[in-house]
Amino acid sequence: MLRNLFVDRFAAIRSLAAAGSLVLGFCGVTGVLAQAPMVDTTPGPGTIAITGGKLLTITHGVIENGVVLIEGGKITAVGSAASVKVPKGATIVDAKGMTVYPGLIDAETRLGLSEIASDRMTNDTVEPSEEIFPQMHVYDAFHAESEHIPITRFNGITNAVVAPANTDTIPGQDSFIQLAGRDRDTMLMVRDVALAMNFGEAPKRGGRGEGGGAGGARYPSTRMGEISQMRQALLDAQEYMARRARPAGGDEGAAAPAAGGGRGGAGGSNFNLRNEALIPYLKGEKPVVLGAYDGHDVETAMEFAKDFHLKVILSHVTRAQDVLDKIASYHVPVIVGPIFDLPEANERFDSVYSLPGELQKRGVKVILASYNVSNSRNLPYSAGFAVAYGMPYDEAMKSITLNPAEAFGLGDKLGSLDTGKIANVVIADGDPLDVRTSVKQVYINGVAIPMETRQTRLRDEYWPKK
Amino acid sequence: MSFSIPRSALVSACAVLTASVSGFGQSSTAPADLVIKNATVMTASHGTIQHGSVWLHNGKIAGVGATVSAPAGATVVDATGKYVTPGIIDPHSHSALGDDVNEATSPVTPSMMMIDAFDNRDKALYQALAGGVTSELLLHGSANMIGGQAVVIKNKFGLSKEEMLFPNAPRSIKFASGENPKRVYGTRNQLPSTRMGNFEVMRQSFEDAKVYRKEWDDYNAKVASGDKNVRMPHRDLKLEALADILRGKLLVQIHCYRADEFLTEEAIAQEYGFKIRAFHHALEMYKVGGKIAADGTGIATFTDWYGGKYEMWDGIPWNAVMSMREGVRVALKSDSNDHIRRLNQEAGKMVHYGGATEDEAITMVTLNPAWIMGIDDKTGSLDVGKDGDVVIWNVNPLSTYARAEKVYIDGDLFFDSSLPGFGTTHFSGVMHGSGFGAGEDDDDEQGDN
Repeated sequence: MLRNLFVDRFAAIRSLAAAGSLVLGFCGVTGVLAQAPMVDTTPGPGTIAITGGKLLTITHGVIENGVVLIEGGKITAVGSAASVKVPKGATIVDAKGMTVYPGLIDAETRLGLSEIASDRMTNDTVEPSEEIFPQMHVYDAFHAESEHIPITRFNGITNAVVAPANTDTIPGQDSFIQLAGRDRDTMLMVRDVALAMNFGEAPKRGGRGEGGGAGGARYPSTRMGEISQMRQALLDAQEYMARRARPAGGDEGAAAPAAGGGRGGAGGSNFNLRNEALIPYLKGEKPVVLGAYDGHDVETAMEFAKDFHLKVILSHVTRAQDVLDKIASYHVPVIVGPIFDLPEANERFDSVYSLPGELQKRGVKVILASYNVSNSRNLPYSAGFAVAYGMPYDEAMKSITLNPAEAFGLGDKLGSLDTGKIANVVIADGDPLDVRTSVKQVYINGVAIPMETRQTRLRDEYWPKK
Repeated sequence: MSFSIPRSALVSACAVLTASVSGFGQSSTAPADLVIKNATVMTASHGTIQHGSVWLHNGKIAGVGATVSAPAGATVVDATGKYVTPGIIDPHSHSALGDDVNEATSPVTPSMMMIDAFDNRDKALYQALAGGVTSELLLHGSANMIGGQAVVIKNKFGLSKEEMLFPNAPRSIKFASGENPKRVYGTRNQLPSTRMGNFEVMRQSFEDAKVYRKEWDDYNAKVASGDKNVRMPHRDLKLEALADILRGKLLVQIHCYRADEFLTEEAIAQEYGFKIRAFHHALEMYKVGGKIAADGTGIATFTDWYGGKYEMWDGIPWNAVMSMREGVRVALKSDSNDHIRRLNQEAGKMVHYGGATEDEAITMVTLNPAWIMGIDDKTGSLDVGKDGDVVIWNVNPLSTYARAEKVYIDGDLFFDSSLPGFGTTHFSGVMHGSGFGAGEDDDDEQGDN
C-alpha cells in the first residue's frame, strides 16, 4: 500500500533526474561495471509530512502515531499527531503501520573504494608501499557512482565513514559521506573526518599476504616495529609543527630537511604533506580511529595514543574480552566489530556477540560497523545481534545512529529525529533491526530516494511471470 | 589461507574452560522418551503447529502435533512461548578441514576423500552447533573442476570422529567451474585457464572414465560368466571415482555462478549420462530457473552475498525466492564459518527479499539442504520416523533475536545455552582453531566462494 503512495513521487524523481543528467537512461542492467545513477538531493520546495508512523526518535523515545515534518532538507518538527500541526499544502506521506527512524550510519566501510573485490583495477582500499601515509585521503579515490552505494541505502543506511583498509599502521584519512547526492562533492560531508590507525597483526610487513618468514620480512614486521615507526612519525610531525610555529628567518632553512623524510619536503620547501596531515590530530582537533583486536594490543595502542594526547575512537576490540573494564576506563567511543568476528577456540560461542552489550553496560559509548562494502547493507542486523546477546534495544539503535554521528563530530546534524537535523529519514514495514523487515522509503537531505538499485533492476527484469 | 593470531585472552579462555569442566562426562545416551511441549512447532514439511508437541522415542521422532501420545514416564521439556524446528542443515561447509580444503595440484582430483582431513575438534563445529546446526556437508574447495568426495556429518560435537559421521549417507562429489579453476591454473600457465579449458578438462575426464568403466564392466561380465583366464584391469583411484560418477553412484555438487554455465553443465551431464544434484552458489539461477527446475537439479545459494568477483556481480538477494517460484528446490548454505552460525537468520532474510512465507524460509535451511545431501528420508523435517534432530529457539528462529537454546541430535542433547561454559554436554578437552574462513577482517569472511 505504501508502495503505491510512492509511485508518483518516484516517477517525478526519475523524470527530474533524467532531465538533469540523463544518467538513468544510460544505466543498463547488463553492463558489467555500470555506473549507478546519481540522485540529486537538492531539496525541493514545500513541506513533506510523514504521518501515522511509529517514530524511533533515538533522543526522546518512541512516539506512536507520530508526525515528522521535512522542509528545505531539514527536519522541522517531530512529535505526536496531536502536537504537530501539518501545514496546508504539505505532501502527506502516510506511514501508518510503518516504523520511522533516522538514517543509519555505518561507522566504517570501504564504500566507493572497492567495486569488485577480486579485480585490483576496481580497488583503492589502501596504499601498501609505505606504512605511514596520513596524507592519503580516501576522497581522492571515492567512487561516488559505485553500485554498492544504492544497494546499501536500500536497507536504510544513509551515511557512512569511508576508511582505508587496515593493513598499514597509518593508512590515511577517512571521509564521512551521505549515500546520495548529485555528484561526489555533494556526497562528501566531511572530507577528512578522522585519521585511521591500526596496530597488531594486520599492518605487519612480511606477515599477511607477503609470504612471511624471516627472509621475506620488511620493516615493520613486529608490533615493536609498528609502534616504533609510528612514534617516530608523530615525533617528526611534532618537531615539524614546532619549527613551523617559529617566526620566519629562524635557524631553519633549506639545509634542514623536513623531518619524516616525506615526499613534498624536497628542495627548498619545508612544506611536508605527511607532517601537515598529522597536525590536526596532534592538536586533538579531530579523532583518530585506532584499530586493535586483542586486549594487549588495545592496551599498547592506547598507551601510545595517550603519549601524544590523541583523541581516540577505539575500533574492533573483538578479542579484547579480558580488558573490558580497562576499555571503559579510557572513556572513548568504541566501534565494536564486526560483531560477526569469530570467537577463538575454547571461548564461548557468544563471546563476540555479547561484546557490545558488555561494553555498553560498563558505560562505553558503543558504535557498530560493517567494516565492509557489500555487507554494509546488513548493518542493522549487527545491532539486532547485539540486542539478542544483551544490549538494550535503544542503545543498539543508538550504536548505528546517534553514537557514530557524535563520535565523528556530526551529532548536531545526524543520528536522530530532531528538529534542525538533516532530514535523513527511513520508513520501514517493521523493526529496523529484524532481518524480515523491508525498508519502504529512504529520504536523504529531505529528498525521497528512488528505491531502485542495479539489483532491483535485475529482479524486475527476471521476476517470474507466472 | 591460515592466519593465526597470538592469543592474549588466555585468562578468560581458561576461566571458561574451568567453569565448564563440571558439565563434562555426562552419558551420551538420550532418554528413551522425550517430549517437548507447548511450543510453536515449525515442521518444515507440513506447516507450523501452534502449541504443539514433539515426542522423541529412542532417538527418533515418534509424534508431532497438537498432542502426542507419549508414555507417562517421558522426560518433558516445557517450551511455552518458544519455537521448535528441525535441526539446521548446511549443505556447503568447509569447516573442520583445516588448511586441507583444496588439493589444488591438478584440476581433476576425484579420489580425494575429505574425511581424511576432518578434524572433529574444530571450534567451527561447536560454533555451528550453538547456532542450531545438526548436519553439514563438508566439501572440497573450488580450485578444481572435479574436486574430492565430501563428508556428511552429524554435528555431535564431543563425540569421536566415527560417531560424527552421518550413518549411510550417500557419497557426494564437488565440482567447480568458472573463475576459480581458471584463476588457480591460469596463473600457473596451466590448463585450464579459460572456461573453454575448464569444460575440456571435464569432458576429457569423462571420456577416460568411459574407457575405464568399460574395461571393468567387460572384466566383471567375463568373471560372472565363469571365465577364469581373464586378467584384472589396473585399478586407478581417480578413474574409479570418475566411473562411479558415470554410474550414478555419487551426488554431483557443482560450484557454479553463471546462467550460461548451468546450461553447459547440464548439457555435459546429459551427454555422459549422470545427474547433477545441485548447483552451489548459483547466484544467477533466477535467470534460468525454469530450465534447471525441469532437470531436477536443486541449488544451495547465498542469501545476499554478491560482488566479490565478476561472476558474482549479478547476484541479487531475491535469487532464492525467484528460483523457488520457478520450481527449483532451494537451499541456503554458509560456505563460511561465520554464516553457518546464523543460517536461521539468513532464512529470515528471504521473508524480506521476495516474500517467502515463514514455512518456506525454514524449509530452505532444513528439508531442502537435506535433499541436496540425500538424507531427506532421515532428517530435515519433523516427521514421525525421522531422526530426532531438533532445535528449541527462544523466539521465532527467523528473527534477528533468535538464539538456539537446546540442540538435540538423534534425541540426545548436545547443546544447552543455559549451561555454564561452552553449553556443550559431550565435549571435554581443547578445541582446535579453524584453518579456513577464519574471518580476521572484512574480505575474508566467506569460505571458498
